[in-house]
Amino acid sequence: MSATNNEGGTEMNFQTIEYYFHEVFLSMIRKRWMTFASIGTVTVSLFVLGVFLILVMNMTKLAASLENQVQISAYLIDGLTAEEQKEIAQTLKDLSTVSKIEYVTKEQALKTLQERLGEQKKILDALGDSNPLPNYFLVTVKNSSDVKRTAEVIADIYGVEEAKYGQDVATNLFELTHLVRVFGIILMLILAMATIFIISNTIRLTVFARRKEIAIMKYVGATDDFIRWPFVLEGILLGLIGGSVSAIILRSFYSAMAEKIYSTLAFFPLIEQFPFLNYLSLCLILAGISIGVLGSTISLKKFLEV
Amino acid sequence: MIHLKNVTKLYQKNGVVALDDVNLDIAAGEFVFIVGTSGSGKSTLMKLLMHEETPTMGEIFVNGRDVVRLQRKEIPYLRREFGVIFQDFRLLEDKTVYENVAFAMQVIETPRKIIQRSVDAVLDIVGLREKSKHFPDQLSGGEQQRVAIARAIVNDPKLVIADEPTGNLDPATTWDIMDIFKRINDAGTTIIMTTHDRDIVNRMKRRVVEIEGGKIVRDQQRGRY
Repeated sequence: MSATNNEGGTEMNFQTIEYYFHEVFLSMIRKRWMTFASIGTVTVSLFVLGVFLILVMNMTKLAASLENQVQISAYLIDGLTAEEQKEIAQTLKDLSTVSKIEYVTKEQALKTLQERLGEQKKILDALGDSNPLPNYFLVTVKNSSDVKRTAEVIADIYGVEEAKYGQDVATNLFELTHLVRVFGIILMLILAMATIFIISNTIRLTVFARRKEIAIMKYVGATDDFIRWPFVLEGILLGLIGGSVSAIILRSFYSAMAEKIYSTLAFFPLIEQFPFLNYLSLCLILAGISIGVLGSTISLKKFLEV
Repeated sequence: MIHLKNVTKLYQKNGVVALDDVNLDIAAGEFVFIVGTSGSGKSTLMKLLMHEETPTMGEIFVNGRDVVRLQRKEIPYLRREFGVIFQDFRLLEDKTVYENVAFAMQVIETPRKIIQRSVDAVLDIVGLREKSKHFPDQLSGGEQQRVAIARAIVNDPKLVIADEPTGNLDPATTWDIMDIFKRINDAGTTIIMTTHDRDIVNRMKRRVVEIEGGKIVRDQQRGRY
């Protein structure tokens, strides 16, 4: 008995879907400003979400790559004799955790820095002929877990001013990433609530404008699902459009940034554009759709009870 | 067709007993007037039949369906057995006559071919075929009510419930409407109609059920007001 009116098959389903879309587009056009505002809110919220995702993921990657570095830079004090340098080199080679050492003069160091800075090497012109960089040994450690201990030993050698290594920075970076993540999650929750609120209000306007139709639909025996679908669809569409727009903006934003970074800060380990941007887009669109479904479900709960 | 047994409806909020131990049977094909003052319980009776409200006690069967124990998802299918007509017509202002009638079929997912055939047929019955492209505000009150009747019968319901359908109409128009109801009834559809109009009841000479204070105080074949 629950299928009183089921003759019609696929033609009927297509007709119903057509009806839904007709209703949704009609209502979106009728209250175009509200629609525009909702899509705008979704776009902005998801854009912020995207920025945070990009930030957190890149920082995590950077921290991880620093953590995996097995090199220690042992900076030497100025004015050491060749004899003293040889002695330091020998001491370093004798350490059981060290696999390789390389001597880098301050001139070589400056050249490397110039290469890294690329187009921006002009800022080094301010130094004139002076070179503030120290000579150093680049020490490669066999095992990344030995980096910290080895660096401590190296720092105590006579003639070594400082022993720097990536893990040091990595620890700080992980802490910073954690902070950014927590802050991002809190901000996202607030934005998500605001977005859900504005979508549910938009849908509520539609429900209100349609209350007479809904009443008639109920009297003639339309099912709850049939009544509900156009509203849910409207929410989905608002979320989908907002998510897509924010994804498009973020993609061009990231591409432009990546290009800039490759040409000026080539050593920065930015996450490759593809497939990262595809995942990011998918993530934003799915988030938009979920927000749309949530928003419309909330506004329908109150109105469709009989 | 309709079977009410010991039906009581108590509104918890204000403590009003709208219906008090009502028993009523209506057979298929009957034309029944429900009369009584406002607040007598007439509209509660209508609401119970369509599961807009549920009774506090008692049993209700419509066309063999147990209305009281109906599951939520079955309610729409119960309502498809009814055609409902209101005093204030309740047409959609932004839809034409044709669209208003077709709407009732669209929303229960009737295939388009069948919609066109059925809508044309019911517009013939109520005599509005030539005004199918008009909007409600271009029609007289009587014409609007005829559109509402067309909408109520287009899904071929077994039962038509009309709540004061002539309450807003002048006497001449009222008889046009009653004439349409008579024809629908002659075609086998059960009609339940509430009214305050003595003249209609007296001239139609059909079954009259009078409700007062939530009780049936009179149930008479070929009755008068």
